[in-house]
Amino acid sequence: MKYNHKLSVLILFAGALALGSCKKDFLDTKATDRIPASTLQTDTAVFEAFVVNEYIGARLQNKEADGSNPGFGRGFEYSMWCSVSDESIYNNDDDTWLVQRGQLAPENLGALGVIWGRSYRSIRECNYALSVLANISMSAAHKSLLEGEIKFIRAFRYLDLIRNYGRVVLMGDKVYNLTDNLQDPFLFKRVSIKEGIDYAVAQFDQAAAKLPLDNSSNWELGRATKGAALALKSRLVLYAASPLYNSGTWQAAVDAAQQVIALNKYGIFQGGYGNLFLTNQTNEAIFERLYTKNANHVHLEIANGPNGYGGWAGNTPSQNLVDVYQMTNGLPANSSNPLYNPATPYANRDPRFAATVLYNGASYRERNVETFIPGGKDSKDGSDNWNTTKTGYYLKKFMNDAYPLQNPWGNAGFQPWIYIRYAEILLNFAEAANEAYGPDAVPSGASYTARQAVNMIRARQGVNMPAIASGISQADMRTAIRLERQVELAFEEHRFYDVRRWKIADVTENLPMRGMIITKNTDGTFTYTPKIALDGRKFETKHYWLPIPRAEILASNNQLEQNPGY
Amino acid sequence: MTCAEHPASIQHVFTQIKFIMYHRYSIIRSIPLIVGIFMFLFIAPSAFSQTESVTIQGKVVDGTALPMAGVSVKVKNTTLTTTTDAQGHFQLRVPNKGAVLQFSYIGFASQEVVVGDKTVISLVLHSDDRSLNEIMVVGYGSQKKETVTGSISQIKGADLVKSPQPNLSNSLAGRFSGVVINNRGGEPGYDKSDITVRGLATTGSNSVLVVVDGIPGQVGGLERLDPNDIESVSVLKDASAAIYGNRAANGVILVTTKRGKTGKPTVNYSFNQGYTSPTRLPKMADAATYAQIMNEINYDANAAGGLNQAYTADQIQKFANGSDPLLYPNTDWIATVLKKVTTQSQHSLSVTGGNEDVKYFVSLGALNQNGLYKNGATTYKQYNFRSNIDANISKRLKIGLSLSGREEDRKYPITSADDIFRSLYRAKPIIAAYYPNGLPTRGLENNNPAVQVTDLGGINNNPTQVVNAILKGSYQIPGIEGLSADGFFSVDKSNTFSKAFNKPYLLYAYDPNTGLYNSNIVGGNNNKATLTESQKRESLITSNVKLNFVRRFGLHDINAFVGYEQSKNNLEYFDAQRFNYLSTQLPELSQGGMSATDYLNSGYSSNYTRRSIISRLAYTYNEKYLFEGQLRRDGSSIFAPGHQYGTFPSVSAGWRISKENWFKDAAGFFDDLKLRASYGSLGNDNVKGFQFYDNYTLVGNGFVALNPQVSGATNTIQPGVGLTKLANPNITWEVAKKLDIGINAVFLKDFSLEAIYFQQKRSSILTQRNASLPGSSGIVNPYDDGTEKYNPLVPSENIGKVNSAGFEGTLSYNHRGAEFNWGVSGNFTYAKSKVVFIDEAAGTLSYQRKTGRALNTYLLYNAIGLFRTQAELDAYPHVPGAKVGDLKYEDYNGDGVLNADDMTRTKYGNTPQITYGFNFNASYKNFDISLLFSGQAQVSQYVLPEAGSVGNFYSSWADNRFSQSNPNGTYPRVTERASNAISGGAYKNTFWLNNAAFLRLKNVELGYNLKGDFLSKIKLSGIRLYASAFNLFTITKVKDYDPEGSSESGQFYPQQRIINIGANVKF
Repeated sequence: MKYNHKLSVLILFAGALALGSCKKDFLDTKATDRIPASTLQTDTAVFEAFVVNEYIGARLQNKEADGSNPGFGRGFEYSMWCSVSDESIYNNDDDTWLVQRGQLAPENLGALGVIWGRSYRSIRECNYALSVLANISMSAAHKSLLEGEIKFIRAFRYLDLIRNYGRVVLMGDKVYNLTDNLQDPFLFKRVSIKEGIDYAVAQFDQAAAKLPLDNSSNWELGRATKGAALALKSRLVLYAASPLYNSGTWQAAVDAAQQVIALNKYGIFQGGYGNLFLTNQTNEAIFERLYTKNANHVHLEIANGPNGYGGWAGNTPSQNLVDVYQMTNGLPANSSNPLYNPATPYANRDPRFAATVLYNGASYRERNVETFIPGGKDSKDGSDNWNTTKTGYYLKKFMNDAYPLQNPWGNAGFQPWIYIRYAEILLNFAEAANEAYGPDAVPSGASYTARQAVNMIRARQGVNMPAIASGISQADMRTAIRLERQVELAFEEHRFYDVRRWKIADVTENLPMRGMIITKNTDGTFTYTPKIALDGRKFETKHYWLPIPRAEILASNNQLEQNPGY
Repeated sequence: MTCAEHPASIQHVFTQIKFIMYHRYSIIRSIPLIVGIFMFLFIAPSAFSQTESVTIQGKVVDGTALPMAGVSVKVKNTTLTTTTDAQGHFQLRVPNKGAVLQFSYIGFASQEVVVGDKTVISLVLHSDDRSLNEIMVVGYGSQKKETVTGSISQIKGADLVKSPQPNLSNSLAGRFSGVVINNRGGEPGYDKSDITVRGLATTGSNSVLVVVDGIPGQVGGLERLDPNDIESVSVLKDASAAIYGNRAANGVILVTTKRGKTGKPTVNYSFNQGYTSPTRLPKMADAATYAQIMNEINYDANAAGGLNQAYTADQIQKFANGSDPLLYPNTDWIATVLKKVTTQSQHSLSVTGGNEDVKYFVSLGALNQNGLYKNGATTYKQYNFRSNIDANISKRLKIGLSLSGREEDRKYPITSADDIFRSLYRAKPIIAAYYPNGLPTRGLENNNPAVQVTDLGGINNNPTQVVNAILKGSYQIPGIEGLSADGFFSVDKSNTFSKAFNKPYLLYAYDPNTGLYNSNIVGGNNNKATLTESQKRESLITSNVKLNFVRRFGLHDINAFVGYEQSKNNLEYFDAQRFNYLSTQLPELSQGGMSATDYLNSGYSSNYTRRSIISRLAYTYNEKYLFEGQLRRDGSSIFAPGHQYGTFPSVSAGWRISKENWFKDAAGFFDDLKLRASYGSLGNDNVKGFQFYDNYTLVGNGFVALNPQVSGATNTIQPGVGLTKLANPNITWEVAKKLDIGINAVFLKDFSLEAIYFQQKRSSILTQRNASLPGSSGIVNPYDDGTEKYNPLVPSENIGKVNSAGFEGTLSYNHRGAEFNWGVSGNFTYAKSKVVFIDEAAGTLSYQRKTGRALNTYLLYNAIGLFRTQAELDAYPHVPGAKVGDLKYEDYNGDGVLNADDMTRTKYGNTPQITYGFNFNASYKNFDISLLFSGQAQVSQYVLPEAGSVGNFYSSWADNRFSQSNPNGTYPRVTERASNAISGGAYKNTFWLNNAAFLRLKNVELGYNLKGDFLSKIKLSGIRLYASAFNLFTITKVKDYDPEGSSESGQFYPQQRIINIGANVKF
C-alpha cells in the first residue's frame, strides 16, 4: 500500500502538471490574423493601407467581384452597366433584362441594387479614416495628401449615389456605430439634388487642393490626383446643369471642365483608340483602376467572346448602337450617304466602330468572325449555340488579343478600367460651352470652342474623323456632341446616365432593342435582315432614377422616402 | 455502520459490481462508482456467512449457447447471491427447497426458477432490449436507467452495426425520439448527416456537441468512428446536458467505445460487401425536347423571330431519331457519367479479453468506398485502430489508456462533386459526351462531366489522420469512505493534407465545315499544370480532475463530484501553390515555374481555450425519490475578459411511483412507472472568436498600383487593410433554458413507454443584425455566399430569442418465446420553434415577419396557377413583364398590385417538425430480422433547377411545360434562365417548394446464425451471415431529388441506397 500511495501521489502530480497551464491568463488567447483598431490608429503604414483599400468596395451580390472586389460604379463584371442601356444586351440575362423591360422595382433591382449599400459603407469608412487621421502622428504634408485622398474617395461615392438615386442622404463626417440609434431620422433625411451635388463638389475641390498633380514613386498610379478630383467634379457639375438635375449652370460646367483642361497635363492618346483601353499608363486616363494577376477582373475575352471561339457572348452590342457610327465622311450611315452600301454595311465606318464592335467578317484572332447563317461559326449554327449573340454582334472594346480566350483562368482580366479620361472632359466642356455660348465661341478663360473640343477627339490618330465644320447651329451641335459621346464613350458607363440627364430616355429606352440577322447567300454575298434582339423594352418616367432598395425602406421603418413612382 | 446491518446496501453494491465486472452492454466510466464498490469488496464476503442445507449447481448460457460469466444468481427475498464464473458455472447454498433463484444479467431478461428437488439448474438467458437494469451513459458517468431523471436516449453499438452505412451519423436516423437527422448528400467521404436535437432552437448554430469517451468536442468527431468499436451512443436532450454547460445548449451526443472484459480472448471478425446506388436522380429532358425548348426560349426574347429560331423542325427530328449522332446527338448525361451501382467494403477485427487486473479491447478496421462515377477518380478509404486498456495498479488505483487512430484517404477529381453535379444536370442532351470516334466533346462550355469525373484533369489527394489518446486514472482516497479522485488527460490531433495537381487536358469540337476535330486545352492554369498543397493541423488538449463522493447511508444514496476541466484548441493552416509546370509528370512543389508570379501561399492559425468548474450532486432515497443538481461555471476565450464566464445550473427530480406500496396494490400491471422533470440552463459559444474588437484584415487582391517613375514597372498589388468585423465588446454566452417533463413506464412486463413534453427558451442568441441596419449608416454586411468562410461585418450579438416546444414518445413491445422472439418499437417527435426576437427591419410587414413564426421559413410568392390566356393575365394583378404561361402569384394583400408586399412566409422550413421511426426485430431459431423505418413530415424544401439556355430541364418540367402547343401544361413556360425568370428566381415562389415529407426503409437486416457442434470442432464460437440494406425504398411526393437534400438548385451528390452482405466470425 505504501508503494501505491507513492504512485498515486505521483499520478496526482502528473495530473496537476497536465493542468499546468492552470494559469490566470489561460483564456487570454491572441488572434494572429487580424489587426485591432489600436494598431490602425497608430501605425501609419497600416492606416494608409486602410485608406487605399477604400478605392475598392465591398462585394454585395452574387455574380460580381470575380477576382477582386468592385471599385466605383460597376466596371468590369459579367454583365456590365452598358447592358442596362441601349448599347447592348447581356446575352445570359443575369437580371439585366428586367431593367431593359421596365421591371425595375425596389424589390427587384438585379445588378443595380448594390450602389446604395456599397457607397455608404465606403463613406462610413472614409469618415472613420478622417477621424483617425486627425490624431495620427504623421508629417503634415502626407497627412494633407491622405486627407485629400479620403475626401476624393468619399466624394466619388456620393457621385455614384447622386447619379443613380438623385437625392441622397448626406452623412457629413459622422461615423455610425452599432451602439448608436440606427433609427435616427438623420440617417434617412434625403437632401435636394443641389445640396447633394454642392456637398460633393466642395469635397472634390478640397481634395483637389490637397492632392498632387502627378503620380510618382510615393503616390503611385492608381491613386487619386488633383486632376482626378477636378475631372470627376466636372462630370458632376455637368450633370447638375443637365435638364434632369436642373441644379446648376452650364457656365459652372464650362468652368469645371476648363479647370482640368488648364492643368495642361492631359491629352488625347494618339496610340490608337482601341489600345487606349489596354494600356495602363496614358496621357488620357485621368483616373483608372489597375489590375494584375491575382487581383484581376472578369476574364473579358471568354465572357464576351463569340461562341465559335469558345466565348460566352456576354455583353453584345445592339444594332441601336451600331447604327450611330458615322461613315468615314462624317455623315450618317444611311442610304443617302454615297459611302454606304447596304450590302457591306460595316465598310467605311468611323474606325471606332471596328474598335468597339465585332461584326460579321471582322478579323478577330485567328480568323474572321462569322455571325451569318447558315453555318457561321459564331452564329446559332456554330458550337455552343446557346452562347451565340442575339444581336449579331460581339463586344470588341476592352478585349485584349494577347490574353487567352479559352481556359484563361487567372491569366486574363488585367485591362485597366478607366473611370474618367480626358476625352470625356473635352466632351463635358463642349456640351457645356455649346449650351452656354454656342458652338463657336471661346468661353472666357478657356482656349477652345465647343466645336474645337469635339474635333480634337475626332482627330485622334487612327480615328481621323472629319472635323465638324464651323457654322453648325447650337441644336445641331448638341446632337453632334451627344452622338460623339455615344460613340467615343460607348460601354464606359455613360450612356445610361446621359440619356437620363438629357431626359431623352423615355424615347431612347422605349425603342426596341434591335439586332441583325445576316444570311449568307449562295453567291457569297450577305443579306441583312433587321430583327428584334430583345422583346418588351420599356421605360417609364419613374425609371429616371433607380428605386432605393426595398430593404432600405423597411429598415428605416418607412422614414426613408422612396423615389417617385416606385 | 456495518454491512450486516444494511443488507440492502450490500445488495445494491453487488448489483453495481456486476455492472462493472461483467456486463456486456455498457461501459463503466464512472470512477466514483468503482471506488464505491471497491470499498465494499473487502467486507462483502461477510454477507455469505450464513449457510443452509441445499447446494445448487448449474450453468448459464446465452441464446447462442455461449457460457455467460457474471450472471447474478440470488435467492429471492434473501441476501444470498453469487455470480457465475467464466464458464458460466455457479454454486449456491439455498435455505430450503421452496427457495426461488433469481438469475439476472444486464441486458438480459431476468428469470426465476423454483429450486424444488433440483440440485442442478441450467438455463438460457435471453437478451432483453428494454431491460430495466440497463446502464445509461450520462455526462461524466453512468446511471441505472431506472434512476435516470433526464431525457436521455441510448442505442447500443450492436444495433448500429446492423446499418451498412459506413458513416456513423447516418446510422442514427429513426432510432431515437427527439433527434432529427437528415443526410444531405452521399459523396464518399462527405456523406454525413445533419443532426439536431429536437429540431431547430436557435438562429445561431444548432450543432450538437459530440463527446467521445468523455472528451467534449473530440477532434475527428462522430461520423468517422468505426461502428464496430461503439459500445453505445447516448443523446442528452434536456437539461441533463447542462453538465456539459458551455456548449451543451444544442444537446450532447455521448459516444462510448468498447472496453475489455474479463475472460479468455474473444476474436471477432466481420466482413461487409456493399453495393451502393443513388436513392434518386432526376430524369432530364432529351435532345429533341431540349431543342424545342431552345426555340421557345428564343421566341420569348423575340417573338417576331418565330418558333424555329434555334432549330428547324427537321433538325429536331434528327435529334429525335438519332440518324446523325455526330451532329445531332441525344445524350443521357446521367447514364453516361454515373454508374448504376458501385461498391463498398468493410473489414473489422477486434480482440477483447483480460483478467481481473488488466482488460483490453483492441480493434482494426478498414473501409473502402467507391464513387458513383464511371471511370471516376473518387474513392474513400479508411483504416482505423483502437486500443482501450484498463488496469488496476492497486486496489485503490486504476488507470485506463485509450488510443485510437485513423487514416481517412479521400481522393477526388479536381472538379468538386457540387461542380460535377452542376455540370451534369446542366449538360445539354443536344451535346454528346464523346464523339462517335471516341474524342471527348467540350460538353457545356468546356465542362464535360464525363471527363471531369476522371483523373484526366488531375487528382485531389486528401488524406487526413486523426489520433486520439486518453489517459485516465482514478484513486480511491483512503480515510474517508466513498471519496475518490479521478481525472484524465487527452490529446487529439488531426492532420488534413491536400495535394491537388491540376493538369491541362484536351477537349474537342467538331467543325462540320472542315470535318476536323479542333482541340482546346482545359484545366490547369495558363495551359500548364498547377499544384496546390495544403496542410491543416488541429489539436485539442483536454485535462480534467474530479473529486467524487459516492456513498450509501441506509436507503440514502449520495453520488457527488466536483471537477475542473480545461481545453485548448489549436488550428494551424497553410497552403502553397505553384504554377506553370514544365511537365504534367512532376507533381511536386519544387518542379513548377520559376517566375515570381508562379508562387503563391497563404496561412492562418487560431487558438481557443475553455476552462470549467463542474459539479453534480445526486441523491436518491430507496431508488424511489430521485434528485439531481448540476452546476457548472465555464469560461471561454471566444469572449472578452469580463464576459468570459457563464454559470449553468440544472436540477432534476424523479419519482418512481411503482416503488410505492399503495401503487403496487392499485396498479400492479405496471412493472415500473417513473415521473420525472428537469429544468436547467445551458450555454452556447459556437461563434467565431475575437468579435469583441474591431477586426482589420489584410486584403490579398485589392488595390493595384504602378510606379510611373520606373520604366517597365508593372502593376503591383498594394498592401490593403479592410475592416472585416465591427466590435461587440459585450459578446457573451447564448443561454438555453430547458424544461422537460417525462414519464417512463414498463407495463404488462413486455410494454415500455416513454413520453416527454419539452420546452426550451433560448435567449441571448448569438446572431448578427442585418435587416434592421440602414445602409446609410455604412454598416453593411458583405455578400453571404453561404459558405463557412462568410464573415459578416456585423458581429454576433446576444440578441435573439427563440422558444421551442414539443413532445416525443416511444412505445415498444417485446415478446419472448422459446424459439420465436420479436419486438416492435415506434418513436415520434414533434418539435416546433417560435421566434420571439430576431433582427428584422422595422418596417417589415406583419405577415412577412419571422418573429412569431418557426425558424428558417421561406418568404415566397404564393403561386396559384398559371396564366393560360391573355384574358386571364389581364384580369388578375401580375408582376411587370408577366406573359401567358407564367406563374400566377396571389395578390395577397389584395391591393391590385403584385409586388414584394404579396410575399408570405411558408409554414415550414427544411428541418422537419415531425420525425418518427419504427423498429421491428424478430428472431426465430437461427434467423433474425430487423427493420428500421424513419420518416419526417411538416417540412419543405425549395428547389429551382438551373434550367434554361444555361442548362437542361428536369423531365418533369420539360414534359409538362406550358407552351403554345401545350396550353394545359402544369409547369410554367421556359425562359433564358430559370434563376432570373418571372416564374422562377426573380419572384421566388411556392411552385418550387416541395413537401419534403417521406417515409423510408432506412435499414433492414436479415441474419442467420450458424449453430452446431461443428463450430467448436473448427474452434469457432459463432458464425453469423447476414444481408442488410440502407435507404431501401422511400415513399415521398418529391419527384426529382432525394427529399433529405438541402440544395436549392438540386445540384448535389445524391444520397445512397446500399445493399450489403456480410459475415461475422467469432473465435
